[in-house]
Amino acid sequence: MHIPDVFIPLWQSAIYWVIALVFIALALRWARNELDDEKVPLIAVLAAGIFAIQAFNLPVGMGTTGHLVGGALAAIVLGSPYAAVFVLTLVLLVQAVVFGDGGITTMGANIINMGVIGGFVGYYSFQSIQKVARNPYLSAGIAAWLACLIPALAASVEMFVAGTFPLVEGMIAMGTYHAAIGVIEAFITAGALYLIASARPELIDTSTGVTV
Amino acid sequence: MENKQFLAIGLVVAILIGVTAVFFAAGDPDGLESTAIVVQGEKDLFGPTPEDGDPEAVGHDVGFEYEAPMPDYAMGDDAGKMGEVIAVVVGIILALLIVFGVGKAVTASKH
Repeated sequence: MHIPDVFIPLWQSAIYWVIALVFIALALRWARNELDDEKVPLIAVLAAGIFAIQAFNLPVGMGTTGHLVGGALAAIVLGSPYAAVFVLTLVLLVQAVVFGDGGITTMGANIINMGVIGGFVGYYSFQSIQKVARNPYLSAGIAAWLACLIPALAASVEMFVAGTFPLVEGMIAMGTYHAAIGVIEAFITAGALYLIASARPELIDTSTGVTV
Repeated sequence: MENKQFLAIGLVVAILIGVTAVFFAAGDPDGLESTAIVVQGEKDLFGPTPEDGDPEAVGHDVGFEYEAPMPDYAMGDDAGKMGEVIAVVVGIILALLIVFGVGKAVTASKH
């Protein structure tokens, strides 16, 4: 759901950038407080892994493909939605500047959708579902599905405001495709959580309830 | 597992995933692009995507254009799959280095 430059008028992109910068500042404050020499390599590897898996477009039928976004994964593993903002901002920066995937002017909107909304939805729905489900992998999977669907719906509202998509038709199509793509997000997030928990259990945020 | 070992294994796994993606990833447009083709009336919601569908046709002239050095994770038609492999490996290493660098910089600023 990387929005290209031509999909949002400049003045609207500027507003999204201002909002994104507020969250980037908060994410840097989170990083300053929470990261240490132990966690920096984990978050760097997580970013490299998210970049790699994002390159893997899988077919979801309907003439459409999708890939992991990774906001829920980063937020759950590191125990904060700001972890998703931190990682996704830098991954989106590389994708837009080096590979033209997602625009430069629209990077603010992409950071809001995939980093901020994806991270917050992923983190808080994981925390709530985990209280009931008591299975971190199931909870992470459902949270990741929501963290794919809800940013896509937010993007379709932004596309309506931008005059690019009609509201209802855009939301139905974006919702349908990302409900399918979210299944990829769910399985990869749960699987990656399991792999990281097996390799470095002490690096996983303790509130996840992941035990190995 | 030691930090350096974790970093190395993680990087290798990421590169393996990325290189596999070059050869096996599907080519259809993503959800946002598919939606752009649907709202143009060129594609049915559940139907296949037409070969000549152009998602950006719904876009506006925003007065800004940017030419990325490796557009679409490739290095031009001549470089082919090898160019795509180089592009994805460069991307993975850049993502790792930039997050590592910014992470180190913010943690160092504590002291």
